This record gives sequence, structure tokens and C-alpha cells, in this order.
Amino acid sequence: MKVSYKYIKERLHLDATPEEIADKLTFAGAEVEGIEPLGQGTNLVIGHILSCVPHPDSDHLHILQVDEGPFGVHQIVCGAPNARVGLKVIVARTGAKLPGGEIKPSKIRGVDSDGMCCSLLELGVEGKYLSEKQTSGIEELDESAPVGESNVLGYLGLDDVAIDISVLPNRPDLYAFENVVKEVACLFDIEQRKEEAKELPLNATSFKVGSETSSCKIFSARVIKGVETHASPLWLSRLLEVSGIRSINNIVDIGNYIMLLTGQPLNMYDLDKLPKQELIVRDDLEGEFLAMDGNKYPLQKGDLVVTSDGQPMCLAGIMTADACRVDENTKNIVVEAASFHFASIRHTSNRIGLASDSSLRFCKGINPDQMEDVQRKTSEILSEIAGAKEIEETALYDVYAHEKKEIRTSVAYLNGRLGTFFDTDLILKTLARDNLSPRIEGEELVCEVPSYRLDMDGEADISEELIRILGYDKIVSTLPITQLALRGLTPKQEKKKAIRDYLLAQGLYEVVTYTLVSKDQLGSFRYLNNHEALKLKNPLTVDREFVRPSLLPSLLKVATYNVARQNKDFGIFEVSDIDASDFQGQYLSFVLTGNAKGQGRLGERPYDFFDAKGYAEAILKILGVKEGRYRFMPWSLGGEEMHPGRSAEIRLGKQLVGYFGEVHPVALKKNDLKSAIVLELDFDALASLNATPIKVAVPAKYPSVSRDLSVVLAKDVAFDDVRRSLMKCSPLVRSVEAFDVYTGLGVVEGKKSLALSLTLGSEDHTLQEGEIQEAMKKAMDALKLSFNGEIRGV
Amino acid sequence: MDCIDEATKIKEEALKALMDVKEEGQLGLFFAAYLAKKGAVSGLMSKMKEIPPELRATFGAAVNAARKAVEEVYLEKKDEIEAWKLKKKFESEKIDITLPGRTCLPGGKNPYHVVIDEVTKIFLDMGYEVAEGRDVESDLYNFELLNVPKDHPARDMQDTFYLDGMKELLLRTQTSAAQAHAMCEENPKGPIQLICPGKAYRRDDDDMTHSHQFAQIEGLVIGEEISMANLKATLELFVRKMFGEKREIRLRSSYFPFTEPSVEVDVSCFNCGGKGCSLCKGTGWIEILGAGMVNPKVLEACGYDSKKYSGFAFGVGVERVAMLRYGCDDIRRIYANDIRFLDAFQGK
Repeated sequence: MKVSYKYIKERLHLDATPEEIADKLTFAGAEVEGIEPLGQGTNLVIGHILSCVPHPDSDHLHILQVDEGPFGVHQIVCGAPNARVGLKVIVARTGAKLPGGEIKPSKIRGVDSDGMCCSLLELGVEGKYLSEKQTSGIEELDESAPVGESNVLGYLGLDDVAIDISVLPNRPDLYAFENVVKEVACLFDIEQRKEEAKELPLNATSFKVGSETSSCKIFSARVIKGVETHASPLWLSRLLEVSGIRSINNIVDIGNYIMLLTGQPLNMYDLDKLPKQELIVRDDLEGEFLAMDGNKYPLQKGDLVVTSDGQPMCLAGIMTADACRVDENTKNIVVEAASFHFASIRHTSNRIGLASDSSLRFCKGINPDQMEDVQRKTSEILSEIAGAKEIEETALYDVYAHEKKEIRTSVAYLNGRLGTFFDTDLILKTLARDNLSPRIEGEELVCEVPSYRLDMDGEADISEELIRILGYDKIVSTLPITQLALRGLTPKQEKKKAIRDYLLAQGLYEVVTYTLVSKDQLGSFRYLNNHEALKLKNPLTVDREFVRPSLLPSLLKVATYNVARQNKDFGIFEVSDIDASDFQGQYLSFVLTGNAKGQGRLGERPYDFFDAKGYAEAILKILGVKEGRYRFMPWSLGGEEMHPGRSAEIRLGKQLVGYFGEVHPVALKKNDLKSAIVLELDFDALASLNATPIKVAVPAKYPSVSRDLSVVLAKDVAFDDVRRSLMKCSPLVRSVEAFDVYTGLGVVEGKKSLALSLTLGSEDHTLQEGEIQEAMKKAMDALKLSFNGEIRGV
Repeated sequence: MDCIDEATKIKEEALKALMDVKEEGQLGLFFAAYLAKKGAVSGLMSKMKEIPPELRATFGAAVNAARKAVEEVYLEKKDEIEAWKLKKKFESEKIDITLPGRTCLPGGKNPYHVVIDEVTKIFLDMGYEVAEGRDVESDLYNFELLNVPKDHPARDMQDTFYLDGMKELLLRTQTSAAQAHAMCEENPKGPIQLICPGKAYRRDDDDMTHSHQFAQIEGLVIGEEISMANLKATLELFVRKMFGEKREIRLRSSYFPFTEPSVEVDVSCFNCGGKGCSLCKGTGWIEILGAGMVNPKVLEACGYDSKKYSGFAFGVGVERVAMLRYGCDDIRRIYANDIRFLDAFQGK
């Protein structure tokens, strides 16, 4: 909302710069986003062209002698096609500072030039407010323009400044200049200048108004006859320009002017074009609406329409019908000031994609108590500058429950809420500045809410008014006294943090990716849940249409993005909420691609299955899930996403809680990747498990011995099965480790040679060689019997 | 005295020979030739019996002196050679210490996580708890309970993604939704002190400063006699820990449906200290937080007696802090996760 600085000053006798006003407004909740002068320039003067001769060395330049009154006559070289003898012009004298730069004495093609004749563009006026003639040459001033006048901006009405306020949703009243003035008066603690209302004689009216919908509770109209359409006076068009509105003609401009001043949008109808002397608001019309912009808009039930004799005359609050628009031949008009329900206007405005300064104000909410006042002001100015002759009384439909709003609070409450120690007197004075007419009734402090303050309805609002006027710097910081309680992270949050820290320490990067994905991402890596993905009702693009039901595809995309940018070797991970129909979870995923760096590239080797497995084991360890509670099972889930021979499922009993391994070549190709080792875990399921309690064992008192053996087995015998079997074959076996797996020369096709190291020991004595040999024999027997193993060496 | 002359002669000869010794092998040969039992120097003693008895003492002394002199130089030579040997060994064993270390370097967190973790830690240290809430929320918790009824103008400010076919479900537009949960679920109603870090979503086209997905950290404190002065003190504490001891804050009146009064919080610029620079656009202040006293309507809607309880709430935009702090001018870079970008946060 751009407000005229000049208007504020006229109404207030305020000696403050636009910046000072902006500062006060900003701290009080009406943030000023910009201060924009309408026109700019120093060292300007009105000049008179005494002579104009063509430049000898140019086909378009002229050499002018310009009379600048007390500043003398100066020679100016000018390129404007409309420069001619006798013209009154704006001269920027040498040393003038214009938005485009400073004017310096110069030689133009060998001729001295001392100053510049200006167009309004050069004074910083926006082109949209200017005619073609004005933008193609220098400004032609009126013949009566006083030569030598140096307050040129003032003469042109360009000495105004727009204070651009960002109006927040709770203060729609600030869409009115008059209320901004009240706000400034309150903040500077000054009186507003009284305005005298002129009472114009009013004729009786027979015009009918009404509403057949609850979305319009107030509708007022005034018939005004004998108006004349012409250009607006300079002050009016400049005032509109400050607010970013182009002047059209006096009638249209008056509508906008009253709206800017009061916040009440007006609509004007050509009385003689109405089919009937009535305006009735309805919301049950369907069909087409031909608007004054020449476009047709479809009407739906629920759209508020102002009708006359059943014909739509206006899409309420948005646009008038072409049929009854005011034009240059209009003599008699109807001025409408009404209150339409914001939701209704917003709905229609959004649907047909038409918004205006009027619809914006209706959408934000308007003052219900000022219709008559607005009509009066409108009539006044219509008679002043549009020659309105006969003005009728207001025809009014009003079923709105007008009531005086009172808020009861107390000094103790206000100080308590703010943590301040303001005395009663200061509070009363401050609230009075804000037009809240405060009074004390016993312990209570009672405020009357002015009708334009739609936002205020509770005592908390009064506390806000008080402190925003007095300033938040009046609050002395005091730390809260709170009850001591055990808060901090939950066990689940602790676990998450520990896992993130672990993966980071392993050199993985923690990324953050978008929750919303495209349809083609939905089907992939759906092993952990097959619930239907959630779809947006109102997506912005097809790329972001669904809530992702799995996390891994997003990480693969990050991997692809990076690999395409020459980042080849890395690991990334993310923990994220996963939502689907009837499913809420939190997944942890990682992707490892390229090489694991050993010592930089010196010790590098490709990431493989066992990296993922190692991380998986570590993560489960951090989660406190002991080996034995979960199992890594060979891949049984099929699909073309995970390598069937190099992937594993993580199962808790039968429940699948995660998987990891090498990505299937088909999925690699789809993702434009050469290699990817991945993992996805249902973090929620795992973190919700109770951690296995820690119990320490007494360290073995007697030394253990280590014996190696090597066995040839079928290639698909799993080491873990071998290990489990050996652990059971003798009570002396403490642990079994593999230290070499070999296939190739010397080993029959389909077999592998496995080198094992067994640790043997006892809790109550040092082992004798006989016992050791006996245990090793049992181990070898087990290998032969259970796995058809061929012992190669002990 | 031929014998004594001979001893001297052999000594001279030995010392001369020693001068030519350059390495260990030669030293061994020298030892064998002169100092071993049968070597030239030690061998002189065998001539003792040829010496007349009265001269034997003199001869013995001369031989011993000769041996001592040779031995001394020999040992020096030996040390010298060993030092040289060690030097050679070190030379041959020298490594290039500029090659990379073997432990892999820590990875980097996306600045999104860096900021969330840092803010979270500060409030955990102040005795807060963490309630993350969920991305998918109901209209009730995201709007209604927070004093944003249907058709409220504030809904314009946060255009919302709704879920298809799921009545009333949406992607939360603010992490305040988690606060509504916390207040509703607190039973019996008592004090609350928590922060809600997490993702939020709005129907914004992605550009340099807008993102349809972004992160917020909201804080909520509920108790008896909680005031605006408490909010101010808490934010000062936070801001000084996060942005530096010397930071000041200033509050500007603003509007949020769920707080009354509402304020925008500016922090004195952590780049220039408040003098004015390009980061703070010359103002010396940077807008960082939104905050306010919990609107009594919100308290009541969530089951709290607003006569007994009051509270404050605040919110920080995570990406904004990250961008200001780390000099990132495009929010999309955060979500691109380019490893070269993340490398800046290694070890963070």
C-alpha cells in the first residue's frame, strides 16, 4: 500500500521526514518496504525558450537560448523534436542532480551547452503515467508557467513521496490513507487536523437496493445526477500516481480516490443504462458475464452479483458489466458502497483469475460502519470536481449487526503479559492515542474498539497495542522461571543422532532431499512398504506430485546429479519421514558409489557389499539390537533393483526391516550410474525396539589357543552356517573366523577353499594338547558331515 | 730402540690406514689387521719376549699408548660410520609426508542439518525437549488450532499443498503444527518447553529465495506467568550463543495468527557488527526470527486455561540462517546436495 507523504503531512501538521515516518510505522507493525519520490531533481527551474536554431553539425539537435528568470539566459543544446521558440520548459541547470546523473556544462558537437531541458521521465516519473507525447520529447509546460520558478517539483505536483507499507493480514484498515494518518498521529502522539464535513442538500430517492444473500449484509447506493466527465485536476491524478494508479478521468479517479482514503471500494454505474431503478445483490446466477474489460466470465452459483431487473450489472467487488459502465457520455450515476463477504469475493476472484484493488480490500475485510460517511465524501468531491448537481439520499440495505465492541482487561494483566511495569496513567494515555477510549472501571480497564479495527477482539490485542506504541525496547529482558524437569532428547532421538554422527565419521555426507517426487519415482525400491503413495490435490508441477513412499530413489538421484558433475567417489545418507496411505515411518538410507578412499586415492578400492554390511552391523549395534535378534538373509525379494546374489535382507524374525547390497545393473542403467551400494532401513521399527541390556562377562582367566584349518566346500555354502555349526561342535570353540576365501587354480569348479581360524578355550583350566586335538577333530567331522567338506590342512 | 720405533711406526701406519677407512667392511678389515689379537698393533706384544727385560716396561707402555691412540681413533671412526649408516638408512626410509593420511576424512552435513543441529543443541542445553512432528498433518493442527480458521486471510500467506482424496490432510506449512500436538497431548496440562525442528511446505515456485520445501525451527514455552520479557531474554540468550556474544536484538511489531503480540526479531549483523554492510543491506540488522506471546485462543483451543497459563513461541527459518551465515545466495543449492558444496561442511 503506497501512501502519500504529502497527504499525511497535510492532515497532521507533522514535521517529520518520510524516513522518520517509515521508521515509526515499521517498528509498530506496518513495515515500510520502500520510500519512492514521485519526481526527483535539484537545481531545476522553469525556463522560456527565447530562440531555437538548428545545430550546424546535426540533423536533429537545436541550439536554444533559454530565459531562466533570475538565473539569467543560458545556451542549451537540445535534441527534443518538440523544442521550439516560446515554449515553457523544465530546465535542469548545471549542477542539477537527476535520477540519471548530474548535469555538467559541456560541448555538444562543438557548441557549448549549459543545462538541460527535461522530460518528466528524466525527473524519475514512471512512464506508465505519461502520454506518448510526454515520453517522446521534453515536457511542455502551460503558458502560464512562471519563468524562473525554482520549485519545479512543487509546481508540477511531483513533490510527493510514496511510503510503501506492507500491510499485514490483521491490519486491513491500513489500506486506507485516513487510517494510516490515524496510525501516524498515534505513533507521533500528535493531534489530527479536524476536517469539516460539508452538508450538501439531498433529494429524496426512489432507488431500490437489496440483497438476497447473507454474503452481502450492507449495500448502499446514491443516485447523483448531472455529472461531467473530464480530466482530473493535477492534485488528484498525482495522488493516485503516488499509489500506483493511473488517472483515467474525474469520475473513475474519484472512485479510486475515495477507496484510497477510506478503504471502502466504490462502484459506479451509469444510472441511465440500468434496466430498472434498483440494484439487488444475488448469488444464484449462472451463465455468462460480459465485463467492462470486454471479456466474458462464466458465472457460478455462489458468485456474488449485483443485479438490476435480474440482469448482472456487476461481479460484486470485482468488475462492472460492460452494459452499465460509466463512460464519457454518462450524465447520471449510481455510487455503490457495500460490504461483501471476504470469502465469497476471494473465491470468485481466485476462480476467474481477476483481482483488483477493490477485490483485495474486500478479501482483507472492510469497515462496516462507514458507508454513509463514504457516500457523503464521494458526493462532496463529485460536486466539487465533476459538477454533480442533484444528489439523492442514500438508499440503504443494512442487516449487519452493528455493535460497539468493548474489551475488558486490567493493568495487571497487561503488565503481566508483557513483563513490564507501566503505570495506569501511561497505559490510559497510550491507549487513548490509539483511539481506544480507555476507561477504568474498578479493577478493570475497558477499551472501545473503533469500527475500523477489525482485528481486535481480546485483551491480548490490547497488550499488543500498548507495547507496539510504546516500543518493544521498553521491555526489560527477564529469563523465565520454569519448573525443573527432565527433558532433552528421547531415546529414539539419541539413537538417530548417534547413527548420524557415526555415518558422518565414516566419511559419508548427510544430504537433504525433497519429499515431493514425480510419479515415475513411486514404483522403485518399494521393499519396505507397499502402501499407496499420497498424491497432492494441488501440485505445482508433475515433478512434485506425490509424497515419496521410499527414500532411496531420492538419494540415487543425488548420486546421479553428482556423478554427472565429476564427483565420482562418495557416500551419502539421509534420515527422513516417510508417509503413505495408512503408513507413517522414518527411513534411513545411504548410497555409496565409486571408490572407498583408503589413503586418498592411494589406497582406494571400489565400495562393495561388505561396506554396506559393515555399516549395517554398526548401525544395529548403535541401536542396541544384539546379533541374534536380527538376521541378514540372502535376497529373496526379486525385482530388478537389487543384485540378487549381492544383496541381503535384514529381518527381525520374519519382519523385513531393511535391506542392503549392490544395485541391479538394470536399475544402475536407469539411474545413469556405474556402481551403487545401497541400504534402506526402517529406522522407526528398529529404533522402537528395546535395546538389549548390557551384561559384562568375566574375561577368560585361562589362555585360549588358536588353530587354523582349511577346507574345500561347495561354493554356495554360507560361511555363517559353517561358523554356527563349528560353534556347536565342541564347548571349547569360542569363536570362528574366516581369514581367506579362495576359488580358482587348484580348486575344483563350483567349490571354494575356506581358511578358518578357531579360537579354543575353557573357563576353568588351560587346555591340554589332547583336548585341543579332540575339539579340532570334532570340527573337521562337522565340516565333513554337515557340509561335505574336504579338509585341506590343519 | 728399534722396538719402540717400530711401535711408533706401526701406530703411524695404523692411523694412516684408518684415515682411508670409509665404510663398515673396511673398518672390519682394519680391525683384523691392527687391533685384533693377531693384528699389527696387538701383535707387538708378542715381541715382548724379544725385548731385554729392563726395556720391557718402556716397550709395554709404548705399545699400550700406541694401541690406545689407534683404538681411540678407531672408535671415533666407528661412530662416524655408524652415524653415516643411520643417516643413509633414514634417507632411504624417508616418506612424503604430504601424501594423504590413512583415516578417511569425516563427511559433511548439509548446512540444513548444521543449522538444525546447532540450534537444537542450544535449546537442549537450556532444558528444552525436541518434538519433530510429521510432514503430513491435518488441517486441524496446522491451521484450526493455531487460530487460522477456514477463509482466514492468513491462509493466503501460506498457500498449502493438500492431499488428494484425504480430507483435511495436508503437508504442514509450518512446524508450529507440532506445537499444537504437544499442547493437545500434554496431559494433565502443565508447563511445556520444547522446540520443533523440521520440514515445512508451501506452494511456492522454486527460485533463488523460495523453495516449496524448507525447514523451520519453532520453539514453545508454556507456563504460569510467562511474559514477553521472558521471550526477549530467551531470544537474547539464543542469539548470542548462535551468532556471537556481542549480538543485540530488536523487536518489531508484526502479525502471526498464533501469537499476540507478535514480533519480528532483528539481530545486529554478525558480519559487520552493526556498522552496515552488504549482508545487512547497510542497516546493521538482519531479520532472523518471528516470535510472540501464544494467542490465548490457541491455548484454549489446545485445552489450556488461558487465565492460568501463558506462553511464548518463536520460529527461525533454517535455510535463511544457513544462507546468511555461509554466503550461499541460492536456496536451491542447499537441496542440490553437490558434494563440492557439502565439502565446505566436512567435520561439521
